[in-house]
Amino acid sequence: MATAAGTTTKWSRQRPLSMRRLGRGAVPYALVAPVVVVMGAILGYPLYSLVRLSLDRYGLFELIQHKGVYIGLKNFGSVLHDSVFWHTLVRTIVFAAANVGLTMVIGTLIALLLVQISTWVRLLVTAGLVLVWSMPPVVAVQVWNWMTNVQNGVLNYVLTELHFGNYFQHNWYTSPFSQLSMVTTLIVWGALPFVVITVYAALSQVPRELVEAAEIDGARSWRVFKDVTVPVITPVLLILTSLSILWDFGVFTQPYLLIGQPHITTGNYLMGIYLFEQGYVSANFGRGAAISILMLVIVAALSVVYVRRMIRIGEVT
Amino acid sequence: MRLRVVVAAALAVALGAMAATAGASSGRAQANKLTVWLQVDAQSGWPDVVAAANQQFQQQNPGWTVDVQYQNWGDHLQKFDATIAGNDTPDVIEMGNTEMTAYMASGAFADLTGSKGEFQNSGTWLAGLAKSGMYGGKLYGVPYYAGSRVVTYRSDLFKKAGITSSPTSIAQLTADLAKVANMEKGVKGFTPMYLAGTDWYSALDWVFDYGGSIATTHAHKWVGTLDSPQSIAGLTAYKNFFDTVAQKSAATLDEANPAPYTVYSQGLTAAILGPAWFSCCTGTKYKNVTAQFVMPSHTAGKPIPGFLGGSDLAVPAQSGQKAQAVQWISDFTNTSNEQSLQAKGNIPNATNLLANTVNARAAARSWFVPQAKHWVDVENGNILRTMLAQILTGKLSVAQAASTASANIAYTLNQS
Repeated sequence: MATAAGTTTKWSRQRPLSMRRLGRGAVPYALVAPVVVVMGAILGYPLYSLVRLSLDRYGLFELIQHKGVYIGLKNFGSVLHDSVFWHTLVRTIVFAAANVGLTMVIGTLIALLLVQISTWVRLLVTAGLVLVWSMPPVVAVQVWNWMTNVQNGVLNYVLTELHFGNYFQHNWYTSPFSQLSMVTTLIVWGALPFVVITVYAALSQVPRELVEAAEIDGARSWRVFKDVTVPVITPVLLILTSLSILWDFGVFTQPYLLIGQPHITTGNYLMGIYLFEQGYVSANFGRGAAISILMLVIVAALSVVYVRRMIRIGEVT
Repeated sequence: MRLRVVVAAALAVALGAMAATAGASSGRAQANKLTVWLQVDAQSGWPDVVAAANQQFQQQNPGWTVDVQYQNWGDHLQKFDATIAGNDTPDVIEMGNTEMTAYMASGAFADLTGSKGEFQNSGTWLAGLAKSGMYGGKLYGVPYYAGSRVVTYRSDLFKKAGITSSPTSIAQLTADLAKVANMEKGVKGFTPMYLAGTDWYSALDWVFDYGGSIATTHAHKWVGTLDSPQSIAGLTAYKNFFDTVAQKSAATLDEANPAPYTVYSQGLTAAILGPAWFSCCTGTKYKNVTAQFVMPSHTAGKPIPGFLGGSDLAVPAQSGQKAQAVQWISDFTNTSNEQSLQAKGNIPNATNLLANTVNARAAARSWFVPQAKHWVDVENGNILRTMLAQILTGKLSVAQAASTASANIAYTLNQS
């Protein structure tokens, strides 16, 4: 009884307060509401349109009529039964893994190098990296194309002059493997600056005293890196890795332009190109929408591990 | 923790970079402004013809401006689709004759049947080209120009090698090129005849020369015929010719990168095969020593069948200025402009305008792609280019590559 009575008094005492609290509590929501509405309109509506489009037959005829024909999940069915889709998916995963791996490893190595070198050299390297970062992909593709050109590319010339073999009129784009390897060099080159500068910033946050303590205890540089530096910069490495996965999985500009439309075939498709060819080039927009939703799901699945680990790290620190 | 600041900053930069990919959109159709999409060929080859048409149009329509926007073959259809979606189509669009069917069937273009009389020489239009602009008995595309494919060659080198007359068979051409090659063997990187290996517009000449074809219909279904004995004989002959006279590393290249005339203008080849307007861009150094002949057949005395490429001009159904669009097309394709196009190395759109040019002689034997709604998918899927690369690099035998391509083509054309 006593408890019950106590509760009643508590309730009655708190009632006017809770109204006020409610009012106070609503303020943050009211403040954030405009942003939520705007974001909902900007992100939500296109997503809704995409899903609706993926359930329609929407080809050239429907495009001209501005009206699709509802066909349920048939677009998804036809994509999932397409062997080209599965081959492309495997190829893209391998391609993205290679690109992300190379970007992260080389990027971290360069960042570690930046810590060691003198201020002047560091400034020079950083300036070079920023220039790379600021170059639009389309321009970079043109430069790559020019350098690896079969007729008079500077790469063939230099390799031949340096006696690495006879590269006169060597064609660097003969097989899907060589084509995608050239794309990889371009993508890794373009992605390095962001990774290097971010990892370098993270490295500057590694407490000096921890490193010194480990060194006094006799740890060699590899042990210091593995057991002191890496744990501190792990959150940064994780976010960089997951962002790189997102970018490299859906990459389009570099492969499409570097390989060139006349040489894009089902044998060298990446997911971004598969989507473009099936959706836009063949003017089958409903199928294209279905592919892009499937890509979204796959990328989400691929990065869930990293996102979960990031959230856990966020909880601990 | 300051590390969080680093993470947050990294994310902010990343998101900023993603958000920066904004697209620019062109303006809505304005009053008194006609938007015309032509291919870049007009920009590099005959800008004066375009200017003449614009001038005439503006005289007839005072206060009007014509906005000519030049497009690339590779992506103009995707851009056109985007303008259809946004109700912002051009008023006139140039279409390749192999691209028309799919769009006419979908209702993308205005019916011009009633205006046919406004176009000069419409009674004598080239039959093949006019057919590509007709669908269901109605006129949607006005013939613009056609082009056959000829050999553009260095007359000085041929003369120096003791060749006095144009070759009349492939065997003779091969022998002539061997003489030139022998003479120029000191020039590093020189190839007697430059062929982009995967240029199917040229390669399939051999298929048709040997009596082969790409696909035929049988019981309302498309059947691939590149694996027929005649087609295989043609592809084998092409491979032999390529191996003998062309540059090995060009086996997987296409005709756009590098353009054959670029190789020619660098002095690295004695002959190129392609549209007659290639003569535009052979370089000032070789301008006076450049001539053309008809690519001969393997049968002596005949020309090889060449791809009859061409363009039509259509008025998108969404255009709000159809009458002006028709008038501009009529100005652009009038007799004097068509004659100028002929002078630049094209075939004019009407038989009564045809002169005895190397281009017109080459058109005596020609071939065309199957007129199927999904042919454009065969082109975009690069099925023929893949086959040619496989054959020329020796990755697959001619029979294997042809059989795979043939099956792919049949599958693509028979899609619903």
